[in-house]
Amino acid sequence: MKLGLDIAESARISLSALMANKGRGALTALGIIIGIVAVITTMTAANGLANNFKETFSVIGADVVYVSRMPWIIRGPDEFARFNRRPQIELDDGERLAQALRGRAVVNPYVGTRELVRYGSKTLDAMQITGTTDKMVVMSGTLPETGRFLMPFDLQYRRAVAVIGWEIKERLFENRDPIGEKIRVGNRDFRVVGVMAKEGQGVFGGTSTDVEVYIPVTTFAKIFGGRQRGFDVDLAIKGMSPDTLADLEYEVIGEFRKIRSLRPGEDDNFSINKLDTLVTAYNNIMGVVVGVGLMVTGIALFVGGVGVMNIMFVSVTERTREIGIRKAIGARRRSVLMQFMFEAGVICLFGGLVGIVVAWLAGIAPAWKGARQDPIEALRYE
Amino acid sequence: MEATQAPAAGSPTLLLEQVVKTYVMGDTEVRALRGVSLTIGRNEYVAIMGPSGSGKSTLMNMIGCLDTPTSGSYLLEGLPVGKMSDDELADIRNRKIGFVFQTFNLLPRADVLHNVELPLVYAGEPRASRRKRALEAIERVGLADRAHHKPNELSGGQRQRVAIARALVGNPSIILADEPTGNLDSRTGEEIMRMFDELYSSGQTIILVTHEDDIAAHARRTVRLRDGLIESDVTNGARRRPAAAATAPGP
Ligand SMILES: Nc1ncnc2c1ncn2[C@@H]1O[C@H](COP(=O)(O)OP(=O)(O)OP(=O)(O)O)[C@@H](O)[C@H]1O
Ligand SMILES: [Mg+2]
Repeated sequence: MKLGLDIAESARISLSALMANKGRGALTALGIIIGIVAVITTMTAANGLANNFKETFSVIGADVVYVSRMPWIIRGPDEFARFNRRPQIELDDGERLAQALRGRAVVNPYVGTRELVRYGSKTLDAMQITGTTDKMVVMSGTLPETGRFLMPFDLQYRRAVAVIGWEIKERLFENRDPIGEKIRVGNRDFRVVGVMAKEGQGVFGGTSTDVEVYIPVTTFAKIFGGRQRGFDVDLAIKGMSPDTLADLEYEVIGEFRKIRSLRPGEDDNFSINKLDTLVTAYNNIMGVVVGVGLMVTGIALFVGGVGVMNIMFVSVTERTREIGIRKAIGARRRSVLMQFMFEAGVICLFGGLVGIVVAWLAGIAPAWKGARQDPIEALRYE
Repeated sequence: MEATQAPAAGSPTLLLEQVVKTYVMGDTEVRALRGVSLTIGRNEYVAIMGPSGSGKSTLMNMIGCLDTPTSGSYLLEGLPVGKMSDDELADIRNRKIGFVFQTFNLLPRADVLHNVELPLVYAGEPRASRRKRALEAIERVGLADRAHHKPNELSGGQRQRVAIARALVGNPSIILADEPTGNLDSRTGEEIMRMFDELYSSGQTIILVTHEDDIAAHARRTVRLRDGLIESDVTNGARRRPAAAATAPGP
């Protein structure tokens, strides 16, 4: 029944004590503010990175398995040298895999390079050129906004047709209709047959369809295949039945080993990649980064806490007399305790609130920057 | 609080029997009280005297439940104080004891009103009646116009009157005053003593410690301590203002 009065009295006395020592309280709160700001900023940045990672790699597809010569994550030059000796994955390999998995999975071979893209007097440097097939629509579910996507006969006859990203269209054609126009990719002319729907500002350019040019992979092979030493394709495989990804992966490995005529006991001379691999690698890196960040900022917060503890010691010591008076006229232990807890609480709460506001304001910049961090860059540092 | 004023008829307000208080400091023992037996009834006015270090303050702390005896028993209105927990003692102090100290011991940052109502805060009294009773007590010590002053804006005598208001606001069984005039000039001291006299006439039980015979002469009974023991315990009779300090036997 006395609790309410205790609280009121505690509030009254601790506020007046704080007002009597404003500077001291403010400095103590500053410690808390710095700690809170540091922690929140770290968490926000980590969160931003994680979100951006998910966004960026949603294109890869969680239900797609990739067969490539190299794994996506390579640990060191020795591994690179070893994987680099593997045979290339040819378009034929893709076809045979598609045959083997017919009815069970769709296989899309694709390959990329960077080339100059020109239309009239306008040129775009080093655009992402992707050789792909009509199956890409099945993989990613994205369709052109105008015109059409690549069709089987484009592939079959190695036609010089291109589907361009929205941003490329904007920059080359502005308000003109690009369908049927000729653009130059490298030193070949391509006829634009479609424009992809705007995907929006991807977190980084590389994976946004907005800045890509899609051409038939067969045409790609004909044009660029000759002069590119490492020309090989990646195979994206998407299961058609609701099998688990693990089942699909297992099947793909089996079929591809057959294609490669590997004997039991021989190592795979190709790699299976999937979003999971990246997520794991990413989480490992970010786990360490965020862990260290939180540890450092946690120390900052701890130091802030020690500051509060120190001030409370001082406060209690210099008010020994006051405590004595209060106890003499009937204050219970709880009342005295509450008075000081209230004081510490006010400092911490104030510091915490200001910290949140400051972090919110100051955290916008670094968090934004963190969110723009290219995960591929981060992954290279494994 | 009327109930606390009416203990079983005839039972003394406080009853100490063979109270011993020993302070242990390192490996030396200080025997501050060496067996004090004392009975004080309702509406008594007692002065405790004695040389420095004789145990007066120790005895007052014991009576005021700030401390518990090492041995012996102490009954306050029939309640065995020696066996109580810290929080129970706090409640007893809150409801039954009013303290007046030599150094006033007011809260420096709180104004007069807040200082006076503090015992009622800890008693759990609702705000409105707390305020009303505090203002009455302040009125009673003649400081109505100073209710919102801070202690450092008051004279020593005024501060001691605030302390008296705080002591009596909870309507305690006893008011304990340890050298209440020790820090005041003699004229102001007299004023304070008149205030105690008034409280006594209105039925309060008062115990005060003093070194001065003038002050002790206000009381109706004088207990003298020496070396932790009661040396004498005399009733002052009807003498009200005898400047005759001759009764004090020189050592
Ligand atoms: N907390 C304590 N610890 C140790 N010894 C103490 C303590 N309090 C009092 N004493 C000792 O007990 C004895 C009695 O002290 P007390 O304060 O009761 O004397 P007093 O009669 O009030 O003296 P004065 O007139 O100077 O105030 C003294 O020898 C003192 O040193
Ligand atoms: Mg003393």
